[in-house]
Amino acid sequence: MEDAPIPAETQAREALRAAMARLATGDAAALEEVYKATRVKLFGICLRILKDRKEAEDALQDVFVNLWQRADRYDPERASPISWLATFARNRAIDRLRTGKVRGGAVPVEEAAPLPDSNPLPDQIMIDGEQKARVHTCLKKLDDNARKNIRAAFFDGKTYGQLAESADVPLGTMKSWIRRGMIKLRACLEVGE
Amino acid sequence: MTDETEMARDDAVLAAEYVVGLLEGEDLLIARGRAANDEAFRQLVAEWEDRLAPLLDEVAPAIPDERIWANIEAQIGALREAQASAQAGEGEAPSNVIDLTARLRRWQWTAGITSAAAAIAIAYLAFSPAQQPGAIPGNSVEAPGPIAAADPLVAQVPIGETGLRLDVTYIPESDRMLVAAIGLAPDGVHDHELWLVPGDGSELRSLGVVAPGEVRAMTLSEETTRYMADGAQLLLTREPLGGKPADKDAGPVVAEGAFKQV
Repeated sequence: MEDAPIPAETQAREALRAAMARLATGDAAALEEVYKATRVKLFGICLRILKDRKEAEDALQDVFVNLWQRADRYDPERASPISWLATFARNRAIDRLRTGKVRGGAVPVEEAAPLPDSNPLPDQIMIDGEQKARVHTCLKKLDDNARKNIRAAFFDGKTYGQLAESADVPLGTMKSWIRRGMIKLRACLEVGE
Repeated sequence: MTDETEMARDDAVLAAEYVVGLLEGEDLLIARGRAANDEAFRQLVAEWEDRLAPLLDEVAPAIPDERIWANIEAQIGALREAQASAQAGEGEAPSNVIDLTARLRRWQWTAGITSAAAAIAIAYLAFSPAQQPGAIPGNSVEAPGPIAAADPLVAQVPIGETGLRLDVTYIPESDRMLVAAIGLAPDGVHDHELWLVPGDGSELRSLGVVAPGEVRAMTLSEETTRYMADGAQLLLTREPLGGKPADKDAGPVVAEGAFKQV
């Protein structure tokens, strides 16, 4: 699955995998290593979903405290560590969004967190550095209605209800668009598996 | 394969909806319950997570403030201290989940369970009736030797047909109770309130609003602890957000259970 695209990238990944393994044994220094290697990516994900800097910071803290408490949940056999951590951060951020802890009237993410181009960000570990995962191409093949809404759910934490409301269509219509899209997406993904 | 006009939702689609985050209310509750208890469904969830994760590379990276790491370190430091002092059994330990779960962990060891899983996971799994109702994994019931004076009282409150439940644990002679509502999700319009039914027929005592998806430690009043006994009944009612309004009757009972000494 991992074809070692760039040596530096591979090294970073292996270092992360090793740090995650040490973390599972209760090594506190490993947590800092994981934090340093992934904070930029994971904070980006929290910020994207929560759209509020303060909330995203709380979510990031929550991710790492949880990781410390339950580091043994990561199964090195299953996912690449960065893929697992990114998913974990996204899930925690979405839980936070759902629990209604997020303040209303959050400013758009661009306003809340300006990202000056002149100030390049440190490298982030990529889940799929070469963009070769089929999900990219498969998602593009979907109808506009399915693709746009699946993306809005995935990246912005929108639920069926919210999507139906903003598209001004009945809930059943939104569900059909998306379910149809999911079925196509799965068929397309399975071709590549 | 699937009739497109009917849009029947098979498990793979439900898992996808769950992973993408489209579900709310009851549907979310059900999907969470299955993800927690149903291995085949959990597998589908894991598959979708792995398939979709590469999309997260598209998200613009952002640098968190320097102080975030300091905050994390401070929080973890506090957790470790609490754990250490609880394990050393030093006097009155602080009132938090870690304290209680550390004590639970000691109890687990006493009872002969040698799991090294994290404290909360132990509290959760050790009392999990998912597959064998009534059985305590690890055969602690048959564990030889004396069990600590403070054998926990445990109540499982199954919620309808969802496969979900609350796990309520109380350490006798303390004022601490742990309520694990893992797998529960808020529906945004209701809260659930937990009630103790006093054995003497007096009025129900509120044990507070349940925090969905969380393990929470709470401190009980002395009066309430007097009613915490083997066999004591628990009820869960559905209430408006924030819990039962003072001037209204309690909402419908959605689940019940009873404490059992382990």
